[in-house]
Amino acid sequence: MARRVVITGCSAITPIGRSRAEILRHLTEGVSGVKPLRKDGFLSDYIHSGVFGTVDYPIDYDFKRSHSKTMGPVSFYACQVAKEALAASGLDPETITSGRLGVAFGSTHGSPSAQRSIYKTFFTEAGTDRRLTSVGAVDYLKSMVHTTAVNITKMFGITGRVISSSTACTTSSQSIGFGYETVKFGLQDAMLCGGADEYDTTTVAVFDNLLACSTEFNATPHLTPRPFDVRRDGLVVGEGAGAVVLEDYEHARRRGADILGEVIGFSCNNNGGDLILPNIDGITRTLTLALETAALDPAEVDFVSAHATATKMGDVIEAQAIGSVYGQGPVVAGLKSYVGHTMGACGVIETIITLHLMAEGIVPPTLNLDEVDERCAMIRHSTRLAEQPIRTAAIQNFAFGGVNTCLMLRRFDG
Amino acid sequence: MGRDQIKTALFRVFKDKFQIVDPGVDENLRDAYEFDSIDAVELLHEIELMLDSKLTQAEKKSAMDIRTINQIVDYIESLSAARAGAGADGAGERLSAAER
Repeated sequence: MARRVVITGCSAITPIGRSRAEILRHLTEGVSGVKPLRKDGFLSDYIHSGVFGTVDYPIDYDFKRSHSKTMGPVSFYACQVAKEALAASGLDPETITSGRLGVAFGSTHGSPSAQRSIYKTFFTEAGTDRRLTSVGAVDYLKSMVHTTAVNITKMFGITGRVISSSTACTTSSQSIGFGYETVKFGLQDAMLCGGADEYDTTTVAVFDNLLACSTEFNATPHLTPRPFDVRRDGLVVGEGAGAVVLEDYEHARRRGADILGEVIGFSCNNNGGDLILPNIDGITRTLTLALETAALDPAEVDFVSAHATATKMGDVIEAQAIGSVYGQGPVVAGLKSYVGHTMGACGVIETIITLHLMAEGIVPPTLNLDEVDERCAMIRHSTRLAEQPIRTAAIQNFAFGGVNTCLMLRRFDG
Repeated sequence: MGRDQIKTALFRVFKDKFQIVDPGVDENLRDAYEFDSIDAVELLHEIELMLDSKLTQAEKKSAMDIRTINQIVDYIESLSAARAGAGADGAGERLSAAER
C-alpha cells in the first residue's frame, strides 16, 4: 500500500542566501544573486558570458579530516546541507544509521575541480618529472559522479539505499522524485534527497559554446537571466546545493516531527529524441503525468515553479506546455531569475524555495520580467510580489538528454 | 638524507598534506589520526618526490603494514640506502636525466 510522504527537514546553499529569512528577503525585495563571472585563469577569458549565480559568502564547515579528505567543493556543499537538513528533521542517530534511511543525492558531474587535478597528470609542465606524477589517491573519490551521495553516507554512517542521479538539470528533482517513490512504496522509511554543484567555468563554457548563455548583461549581472521576457538572451549558470528529508507520514507523526510539506506526485519521462532541443509533446506529457500521479485536477494547482532558464526556445515551449495543461490557472514564476541555473541543485533549491513560499503565503515576481514575450503570454505570469496562499505547487525541471521531471507539493495543514 | 632530515621532511608532509601536526613518533597513526590506506598511498607519492625516485610496486606493497612515524623513517632510510648501494642503475626506478 502506498504511504504518504512528507518533508521534515531542509537546508540550502544558494546565491541568495541560506536561511528562509534571507532567501525570502531577496525574493521580496527583488535582489538578484547573479554576479560577474570570476577570473579563473583557465577558461573565463575565452567565454562570452560574464555572469554567474554566485555563492559569495563564507560557509563555516566543521568537518573532520577523515571526512573532508575525500571531498571536492561539491561534496562540501552537499555534506553541509545534508548535515543541516538531518538536524532540522530531528531524526535520531539510531534511525539515521538503521538502514531504513537512504540517500538520493547527485551532481552534474562530480567535482570538476578534482577532475582538473586528474587531467593535469596528463599535461605536466615543461621540466616536470613525468614519471613522478600520478593521479592522487583521493582524486577519483572527489570527482566521481556519486561523490556527493557517498560522502554523505560516510559522514553520517547511513546504511540504507543509495541513489545518485546525474542528469544535469534534473539531477536533484530526480533525487527527490526517486526518494519519494522509495518511501511511498515502503522500501525505506526516510530518504535524504538533494543535489549540489560547485563554482565551475567549464559548465559555463559548454552552454556558452552552444550559444545558450546570457551575454548581453555582463556589465549589469542583476538584470539577467530574464525568463519569459522579450529581452532574454540565455541562461546564467550558478552554483549551490539543497537537501530535503522525506519521511513516511506515519513515521514522522509518531515521533512528533515538524512537517514542512508533502510530496504528492512525481513524473519523469524522456522526449525520446533530440538531446538538446526542448520538446512540447514530451514536456506536456510530463506535466499531465505528474497530475495523474497526484490524482489532481489542473484547477487544484495554485503555483508553478517553471524551469524557465531564459533561453529563447526553452521558455516558449515551456509556456506553451503550461498553457495547454493549466490554461491561465496557476500563477507561474521562474525562480532562476534570482539565482541563475544552479544545474544539479536547481530542482531541490526550487523545491525548498517553494516550501518557503507556501509557508509565507506569498508569490514573488519573476525577476527581470519587464515585458512578457508574446509567445509566452498564454500563462499567468507572476509580475509583482503578491500575497497568495499556495496549497498545491508544481516544480518543473528539464535537462539535456531530453529528461523531464515534475514534482507536486502540497502544503501541510495538519 | 639523514634520519633527522627525513623526520623533519616527514613532519612537514604530515602537516601540509594531512593536517596532522607533530604526531608522536611511535603513535599508531591509524588509531590516533584515522590515517588510512588512502592516506598511505598519498604518502608514498610524497616519499617518491622526497627521494626523487619512483617506488616499485613491491616497495609500495611492503609499506602497507607500517603504522608509526618511526617505521616510516626506517622505511625511507632503507629505500634510500638501497638506491645509494645500487648506484644510478639500481633499485627502484631512479630516473636518468634523459627521462626527466
